[in-house]
Amino acid sequence: MRFLVPHIVVLLLLISGQDAHSTTLNVSIAVFDPGVPADQSLHRAQQVFPRVREIEAMFLPFVLHDKLAGTREWGAVRVVPQPDVAAELLISGTIVRSNGEILELNIRAVDASGRVWFDKVFAGLVMNQTLYTDIAESLRIARSQLNDKALTDIVEISLLRYANQLAPSAFGSYLNEADDGTFTIIRLPAKNDPMLDRIDRIRRTEYVITDTVDAQFQELHTEIASIYQLWREYRRKVIKYQAEDDRRAQNTSSNAPRGSYEAMKNQYDNYKFVRITAQEQNRLVVAFYNEVGPTVDAVEVRIAELETWVDQRYAEWHRLLEELFEVETSTD
Amino acid sequence: MLRNQGIAALCLSIAACAQPPVIDIEMKRIEGPMPTDLSGSWERNYARDDDVNAVLRDAYNKLVRTSTDRQPMGAGVPMPSAKDMSSVLALGRLAELITRPDVLIISQNEHEISIEREDDFAMLCAFYDGVAKDTQNNYGVEICGWDGQQLVSNLVLPDGLQVTHRFTVSEDGEQLRVVTTVSSNTSRVPFSLRRFYTKFVRPPSEMNCVETFSMKRVCDTAEIKR
Repeated sequence: MRFLVPHIVVLLLLISGQDAHSTTLNVSIAVFDPGVPADQSLHRAQQVFPRVREIEAMFLPFVLHDKLAGTREWGAVRVVPQPDVAAELLISGTIVRSNGEILELNIRAVDASGRVWFDKVFAGLVMNQTLYTDIAESLRIARSQLNDKALTDIVEISLLRYANQLAPSAFGSYLNEADDGTFTIIRLPAKNDPMLDRIDRIRRTEYVITDTVDAQFQELHTEIASIYQLWREYRRKVIKYQAEDDRRAQNTSSNAPRGSYEAMKNQYDNYKFVRITAQEQNRLVVAFYNEVGPTVDAVEVRIAELETWVDQRYAEWHRLLEELFEVETSTD
Repeated sequence: MLRNQGIAALCLSIAACAQPPVIDIEMKRIEGPMPTDLSGSWERNYARDDDVNAVLRDAYNKLVRTSTDRQPMGAGVPMPSAKDMSSVLALGRLAELITRPDVLIISQNEHEISIEREDDFAMLCAFYDGVAKDTQNNYGVEICGWDGQQLVSNLVLPDGLQVTHRFTVSEDGEQLRVVTTVSSNTSRVPFSLRRFYTKFVRPPSEMNCVETFSMKRVCDTAEIKR
């Protein structure tokens, strides 16, 4: 009996925790913007490696996904290839800096009503997970400022925006969009509205596909995690080396007489070794991509196939729902 | 920030910054595609190379001539100073060292030319939006330009030390001439060496290799798609 008590307490805590958030929001995390400067000439100077950034843009959202899912404070947490404006809570991000040592992400969280929860830069050491903890905490705080009515509205607006995309004839008049892009509910469809029931079923079908896409991101995360860890370790060492080199550049000078061969060779070699280090880095970027590229390509192909399927079905659903609405509301 | 300070300090210490640049604004601009295609593998043609000793003699004669110009009338046979000789010899040794590679592997695309050399860094010429972009670090600045059909690469190091390479491809595209000039504030005359290269086709390897990050170089005898 005494062994059961802690379990019961934990169970009660879990139940009470769930009660604290009677309306849990589903979270969609869009694949991040890699944050690669459009001016290619800046890449080398800023040490931005576009291919690596593109992989990080797919990889890092899943780390946030795991963090949020682990808090058990949210509904379904999904990584999606494109931002879904009808998502109950959409998180989008841009990689500002990722150098193996420091990670900076600009994270924007917007709910279905268009309310911006926050749009700010989070920074942290790559080694620990504080950045993701900070994001999760910011989300928790933002949500705690909303009452149950506001949370319920978000869920309803999310469904109505989704419905409006699929069947604008039927659902175009339920929401008001203000000039600032926020949505408010004008009225709600009847609970037994057959069109809403169809929309709900279609959305559940789409969720199944979205979960499959999410599983692809999870697979990507699992497969490249160890190599990515090595890459970050390497980049961290490069950063350390560069900092040491900067200090050395300021403090060292050759004892060789000015104008002597030794002095000139020393000047040439100093430049040469930094350039060779940079070249080696570029070579390793290619090596990194060679290794993870096939996995990334395969995942991208599978996601594209799923997206194509959804797009085709979406067009079909859109057409059918509009026709149904026409038939059901026709006075002839 | 540190890098910018470093470059600023570098420029302050480089008298050459105040001198007319080797690559002027016009040379940095290109309209349309790059004027010459230098891409390919080039192997040294030693038969046509400059003889370093002959170039040193020329440099000595030049020093003698310039010493004559600087010497007062009736001061006897002009002789370059030991410092002059030492400086030009240092430039010669450095030029000889830099031009030692037997093979150049040049890759060229729309924006960049990379010239790989054995035991040295790959020279990089970057042109974006029709303008040459420099490559710099704490120790120097490297920039390229086009002088007609010739590619000119200029590396500026502290104390006015400059290394300039001028690449010219023959009309049939099979020969490459590289004139390397090393100059310094410490020497009254620069030192130039000509090296000649012939294009060659590298035989395909029997092994297909790919660089990987965690496993280093992975080779296979079968076809590798990546």
